[in-house]
Amino acid sequence: MGEITYRQALHDCLREELVRDDNVFLLGEEIGNFEGSYKITAGLLKDFGPKRVVDTPIVENGFVGMATGAAMLGLRPIVEIMTINFIVPAMDQIVNHAAKIYAMFGGQCPIPLVIRTPGGGGQQLAATHSQNLEVWFAHVPGLKVVAPSTPADAKGLLRTSVRDNNPVIFLENLALYNVKGEEPPADYLVPLGQAKVTKEGADLTVISYSRMAAVALNVARRLEQENNLSIEVVDVRSLRPLDHATILASVKKTNRAIVFEEDWRSYGIGAEIAATLQEEAFDDLDAPIKRVASLEVPLPYSKPLELATLTGSKQLIEAINELAPRRRRGKQ
Amino acid sequence: MSEITMPRLSDTMQEGTIARWLKKTGDEIKKGDILAEIETDKATMDLEAYEAGTLQQVLVQEGETVPVGQAVARIGNGAGDKGEGVGETTSAQQPASAAETSGDGTGATGAVPTVSVRTSEQDAGQQSTSSYTAQNGSGKAIKASPLARRMAEEQNIDLSQVQGTGPGGRIVRDDIEDVLEQRSASPAPAPTPPAPPQTALVSPAPADAELVKLSRVQLLIARRLTESKQTIPHFYVSNEIDMTDLLAMRQALNANLGDEGVKVTVNDLIMKACALALEKYPEVNSSLKDDHFVRYSHIHVGMAIDAPNGLVVPVIRDANTKGVRSIAREAKALIAKARINRLAPADLEGGTFSVSNLGMMDATHFIAVINPPQAAILAVAATRKLFVPVDGQPVIRDLMSVTMSADHRILSGATVAHFLQEVKQLLQNPYSVLG
Repeated sequence: MGEITYRQALHDCLREELVRDDNVFLLGEEIGNFEGSYKITAGLLKDFGPKRVVDTPIVENGFVGMATGAAMLGLRPIVEIMTINFIVPAMDQIVNHAAKIYAMFGGQCPIPLVIRTPGGGGQQLAATHSQNLEVWFAHVPGLKVVAPSTPADAKGLLRTSVRDNNPVIFLENLALYNVKGEEPPADYLVPLGQAKVTKEGADLTVISYSRMAAVALNVARRLEQENNLSIEVVDVRSLRPLDHATILASVKKTNRAIVFEEDWRSYGIGAEIAATLQEEAFDDLDAPIKRVASLEVPLPYSKPLELATLTGSKQLIEAINELAPRRRRGKQ
Repeated sequence: MSEITMPRLSDTMQEGTIARWLKKTGDEIKKGDILAEIETDKATMDLEAYEAGTLQQVLVQEGETVPVGQAVARIGNGAGDKGEGVGETTSAQQPASAAETSGDGTGATGAVPTVSVRTSEQDAGQQSTSSYTAQNGSGKAIKASPLARRMAEEQNIDLSQVQGTGPGGRIVRDDIEDVLEQRSASPAPAPTPPAPPQTALVSPAPADAELVKLSRVQLLIARRLTESKQTIPHFYVSNEIDMTDLLAMRQALNANLGDEGVKVTVNDLIMKACALALEKYPEVNSSLKDDHFVRYSHIHVGMAIDAPNGLVVPVIRDANTKGVRSIAREAKALIAKARINRLAPADLEGGTFSVSNLGMMDATHFIAVINPPQAAILAVAATRKLFVPVDGQPVIRDLMSVTMSADHRILSGATVAHFLQEVKQLLQNPYSVLG
């Protein structure tokens, strides 16, 4: 099996879905002639024409509303929001329309809408262009939220999202686009709402998603070699619905958990997962659940300050060293 | 209602056997009543009631062995019994649960229950609250992770006895695992009694043979003696001691005692002589521990006693500093306690050297097995009247044969021979023993 970048995996999936289903079409800012700010849609306008790949004005509320209407009438739109920071004007269309219409109107029309959008900091794009706003959407019933960390999952989850009849927020990450990984088999599907144990371990569990899941896997492999710590990594992949069974099984095995997320800590994904664990696995917990997240300030532009603000492997390693059980820590 | 748990009666006690119940179900219990006799690996002791009530249920039958902290009986207030029946099953599944522990702390559980009928729902609620705020004996809350609590409950571990090493002293899984590891490493932990020494009993016992179950003390003796003989390289040095003068002195000592006085025995004098010799040869008063030579600062001499329940070795503490009359008085008391199996763990702990005396049973010579972790034991045989040459003439003297068994890892033949010479010197000049 060959290797493929996260970007290529997304591109291939879009192309395949455009070929497979005539109802699938793409819309967003600069996705046609300019081939996308991050080149995910490179070449697609040329191959599928302006009816299938639609360049829109810079009006997020307008084109998200348009896509919602198209979905109501049976099309399967895939919207690209250039970065998640620009999704803010479209919140009404997403939260009050796309998420509600199926339930509020007697199930007359499903909304098979996908909104792809990258989040994440670390590119020196400053406070308004580096955010991780996935929690807003994971909070809303009627939406599904996925956040793959590998090219294979990106492909498998995007394909499932396109074929799902509910609005899906498909979270990408700027720093993941060039990451390479195993190319999945053709027509690879990853079910929504299914977490994955990306590394087995015995001493503690790190639960994460998106780019931090990749960082966590790296850290876990390294610590296993260097410190002999056996760390289990769970990539939840879907934030809504959240796969309780997999994270519970892992924590029941290791008895200690860290939730590692790039977004802010308060009211975050970690808060939700920690609450779930204490509700459903209280008697299996040997320590309070740790949350490792970014500092709660508007992200500075300055590189040193940006580095100091965002969470990363250093913060995770510190947390692991604090949380690892004493009897396992000593064995070198 | 409260539970009576198996108490920890000595530092090393891990479990205990109910030897005999002195109260039966339905009996009124007053505070301080003796409920049962408990047999530990060291001694038989009383289980005392700390609160009044009615003995409601016996949870552990005579002869059964349970770990420290496990409930052995329930005491309830006679009036509240029926009303509390509902909650009984819930609490029965929670040995030594926190509710009872906190009850012990306040000592008020024996009072009339304020709510005589509780619904099972209320009861369940109370259970979970109390397990969350478990308290130790001093009434201080015990901090433990939920997992550690669950493990402790499953493994019958008393959390108040566990040292927490988590943040802020929280008891975590690591600490419970430490306890479990210690349990499996310590000699007498398993629910199944340790196997008696492997005497090659290849064929099954014949049908007409009587099978006598060993008591816990006998099992312990069997195991420790096997361990001693298998792990300690014993060697033996003998000597003969002329006891003629000592016997004369002892007679004089005891002659005008009257009724209250305690007679000094030959063994008391030998014990004292050994204690004095140990002062001079401190290497004999020691142990081998891993890579250390442990030299004890105190001289505690044990004396082997053939008690009905098996061999016991109570200890005369600081025997080198005590007069022979004190030793005689203490020895007499210890022997009396041993005869009725009432020696306390404190009577048996801390010996640094032992004396085993079969002289009164006419044994002419024998060798003893070292009592670990001690380094040596002196076997004392009978004193016999023998002709010995004095100035070329046969003279009748009282001769006593002694044999020392010593741990060759830390003691040399020369040291042991010198030690015996010293004992001999002291006993043959008996007034020096009185000093």
